[in-house]
Amino acid sequence: MNGLVPPFDFHRVVIEPWTTGFPLTIWIVLMGSLVGIACGLVGNYLLLRRMALVGDAISHSILPGLVVAFLIFRTVNTPVMFAGALLAGLLTVAIIEFIQRQTRVKVDAAICIAFTSLFALGVTLVSAAEAAGPVHIDAECVLFGEIALIPFDPPVVLGGLELGPPPVLRMAAVTLVLVLGILLFYKELLLTSFDPGLARAMGMKTTVWHYGLMTALSLVVVSAFESVGAILAVAMLIVPAMFAAQLSTHLPTRMVLTALHAVASAATGYHLSVWLECSAAAAMVVCGSVLFALAWGITALTRKTGWIDAPTPENSVRQSVAAPPGSGADQ
Amino acid sequence: MTDAEIPLEVHDLSVAYHKKPVLYGIDVAVPAGKLVGIIGPNGAGKSTFIKAVMGLLPLAGGWVKIFGKPYRENCRRVGYVPQRESVDWDFPVNVMDVVLMGRYGRLRLGQRPGAKDREIARECLEKVHMLPYAKRQIGNLSGGQQQRVFLARALAQESDLYLMDEPFAGVDAATEAAIIALLQDLKNRGKTVLVVHHDLSSARDYFDMLMLLNMRLVKFGPTAEVFTPENLQTTYGGRLTILSEVVQSLGSQEK
Amino acid sequence: MTARRCRGSCPVRAARAASRSRIAGVLLVLGLFFLLPDGAWAARISELTETTFTGRAVRFFTLQDPSLRFALTGSVLLGICCGLMGSFLVVRKLALMSDALSHAVLPGVALGFLWTMKKDPLAIFLGATIAGLLGAGLVQALRHTTKHKEDAALGFVLASFFAVGACLVTMIQNLPEGNKSGLDKFMFGQAAALGPGDVQLLAVVTGLTLLVLGLFYKELLVTSFDAGFARSAGIPTQVFHYLLMLLLAFAIVSSLQAVGVVLVAAMLVIPAAAAYLLTDRFGWMLILSAVFGVTTGVVGSFLSFVGRNLPTGPLMVLSATAVFLGALFFGPRHGVLAKWWRRRSRSARIGRENLLKAMYHVLEQEGFRGETIPIRHLAEVRRESIEDVTRDLGRMQTHGLVSFTGDRRAVVFTPDGWKRACEIVRNHRLWELYLTHAANFAVDHVHEDAEKIEHILGEDTVRQLEKRLDYAHRDPHGRLIPGRADDYGKGPNVPKP
Repeated sequence: MNGLVPPFDFHRVVIEPWTTGFPLTIWIVLMGSLVGIACGLVGNYLLLRRMALVGDAISHSILPGLVVAFLIFRTVNTPVMFAGALLAGLLTVAIIEFIQRQTRVKVDAAICIAFTSLFALGVTLVSAAEAAGPVHIDAECVLFGEIALIPFDPPVVLGGLELGPPPVLRMAAVTLVLVLGILLFYKELLLTSFDPGLARAMGMKTTVWHYGLMTALSLVVVSAFESVGAILAVAMLIVPAMFAAQLSTHLPTRMVLTALHAVASAATGYHLSVWLECSAAAAMVVCGSVLFALAWGITALTRKTGWIDAPTPENSVRQSVAAPPGSGADQ
Repeated sequence: MTDAEIPLEVHDLSVAYHKKPVLYGIDVAVPAGKLVGIIGPNGAGKSTFIKAVMGLLPLAGGWVKIFGKPYRENCRRVGYVPQRESVDWDFPVNVMDVVLMGRYGRLRLGQRPGAKDREIARECLEKVHMLPYAKRQIGNLSGGQQQRVFLARALAQESDLYLMDEPFAGVDAATEAAIIALLQDLKNRGKTVLVVHHDLSSARDYFDMLMLLNMRLVKFGPTAEVFTPENLQTTYGGRLTILSEVVQSLGSQEK
Repeated sequence: MTARRCRGSCPVRAARAASRSRIAGVLLVLGLFFLLPDGAWAARISELTETTFTGRAVRFFTLQDPSLRFALTGSVLLGICCGLMGSFLVVRKLALMSDALSHAVLPGVALGFLWTMKKDPLAIFLGATIAGLLGAGLVQALRHTTKHKEDAALGFVLASFFAVGACLVTMIQNLPEGNKSGLDKFMFGQAAALGPGDVQLLAVVTGLTLLVLGLFYKELLVTSFDAGFARSAGIPTQVFHYLLMLLLAFAIVSSLQAVGVVLVAAMLVIPAAAAYLLTDRFGWMLILSAVFGVTTGVVGSFLSFVGRNLPTGPLMVLSATAVFLGALFFGPRHGVLAKWWRRRSRSARIGRENLLKAMYHVLEQEGFRGETIPIRHLAEVRRESIEDVTRDLGRMQTHGLVSFTGDRRAVVFTPDGWKRACEIVRNHRLWELYLTHAANFAVDHVHEDAEKIEHILGEDTVRQLEKRLDYAHRDPHGRLIPGRADDYGKGPNVPKP
């Protein structure tokens, strides 16, 4: 076991990344944060709709989408791959719903069947294509991502100005679209998640919103896939949102907490990976999980039930205000 | 009375759903400004009736008209109070957010609730005496308080016809009194209210009209006429076995 | 809903790119960047000298290669073990637990490897089992001490444990010994690399699973079906839950070598789900599921062996998927095609019955004076063209319900047709009578209700109706209800009231 954990060198681990290593660090941490924010925002809605593991399914079944898109068009052109992956994501959701509706197999097994089958198909297609010609999907990449290599991507240059590596810009664009979408359709997403019955009674198309959210999920996972890999993308969907849910009962506050958690875990995770010389994306998730565990511990200690009720003026007022008339017995 | 003045008209409504409470051939026209109780034993299809009216369940036959038009075209004139258990009370929203949801049906896609909507929501909360709790997370409310929040949300819909699914279930006596006062107030303002109710003893005092339901419509009319031992016996005296068998097999055919 | 079907199904029912860009190497490349040492991530069973399909197939069935023998034995054992455990997961709605646990064992695998610094099956097995149980425990802890829902708890365990494992694996790969660790094989599995130790482990785990199922079958069944009842009957359901989780962890860990972290959930869930579609008895489901597991294991190995460059694990999963799709579409009772066919033949029957009813009405209007029914008359009643009615009647003739007169301008009932027509009219009128008399429906709109009901009234229901209505002879409109005795008349004689 000797040599597994390198000695902790404060200068190398903490100082250097932000001095000599700055050009590398900034892009990796930025990418990690953006992935965490985008995934976390969608993840909040997934948790509310109890669909966290649909995110798991989609992140896996994107693989055959990429492969098929490549085999058909023989190009690694970004929009083509994007479209393939997006379609695969939506196909997964459709398959899950088909199995659930047409048979007595329950949703958990339907999810499992859909994504493992598609993933196996993807792996087989890669191998079969390899026989015909040099095609390769990197195993490590599918699982752990290649976030550490992102700064080496040739940056996009616009009017003589170096903007940054394309994956980071793509992720930033996706995050922006997502934030705008949530701001614009906040009330529709809220009501269809909280009370679908009322939403439908009011004439909202719950199916449309469901598939809209699934499209957003696929989009986010596809963009995150290249940097953090399939399985760690699931972590980015679930862990920040769980952290936020542990600390707040107010949805907008949760969104902000999600973003903070994403940035914090990206930064600490990067340092951890520098120290341990391990996969940066995995280290970010480890740090994120530790942050959740801390939040869990704190809430368990401060209050038995575990959820902190966000302190609000009304909350402090309610002790002093006498129960309103006609409500004497309801406390 | 023209079609457009009848808040709710239902003709030959049949709902057949695999292994769920079902309805067969319901014919009803509810006049305006009445407080109507929907009464029947467990599994008689009371909630199914309300949901079918709003198009939340597929119909096996018949039609529904709200003020003379199909539900979709007049959905703004209908307010809905679902059963309390139908939502997740751990959901991260506070009381004010929930009441504001009542305004969503009147807002355009992407439009956010404005100052006027907030003012209306505050008024509705005041009516159910819940304004001091406006910022409280909904999970930290008692059962009665949760029910009143739902009622305030329905009030915020500013509808003409209200459909309420067991609003008295699991609430304390004070809340029950507050709710019934509110229903009377709605009625006095010319609104029509249909309430699914499970307590036979209070039904006679609460409602102007009763709808006795057990898979089929046993009786619909003014409380004094309908609330007779014979009618109640027919409603509660067990299902018509042949009818329930047949409708159940209809349900499995439609599937 | 017959009693037989309910008894059979109840226990089960309830218990039930982006581009990889040129330099940065992100995802997909043309060219051989970042090739792993073996050049593949899900390896096939053996490199072959035979080039023809038959040659390779013969080699497969004669079991010449030792590695194939191990791989095949492993696949069979894996199929049994995963199939049995999977049945419990599917009926307990814990399918995603298998996904979570299979990812959660990764840190255990890495630590087990570090313990001995070589791929010792036993050390890895122990490490992984401990990690799996910790994961299962953490899921329970999250469920009980926080308000997070089950999906979030499972997702958290899956992701956080896997991330720790991923850190450890990448760290091990930095070690001098790490490069040949073969730990990456755990990700996608490599049936070819199964050694005698792995197969022994699989055999022990399968034996243990069979033993536990044999000893505690009824306890496990009742716990899965109705945990509340089981607790009230004094069965320690928590103990059985963890026993099941322990067996699940065993199954996952011992199968990892062959199919890998991602796909082990498939081997657990898919055969069991296919069995769930085909049978209503839990005992049969266990057996079928194990059989499917073995079949898919063998078929997967075979395809991988005869194929040129095909990985074993994913092929096993795809075979399992094929079995599932077969059950989904062609299952005799719950299959999609069977349902579609039933719906289709039902609507055809309803069409025939409606035409028979129309023919009866024509005769009734004439006061049952004649026996022939002019097609022109029938077309008027049905508001259809003469051609359409003639075509429909032609189909009825092939069913032996009607026969044409010589000039093909009219039809008469055959005895069978007359019997069916009487039945359908009787059903219709009995139902109308029932609605008005027993269920208090208004006379004016019962007719349209009765239209669709008469086709689904079974023999039992009709007898109940007759009894309930005191064998009435007239419908609400005052028309005669054809009696049972009239069925046996040769032709349309006037039913005597």
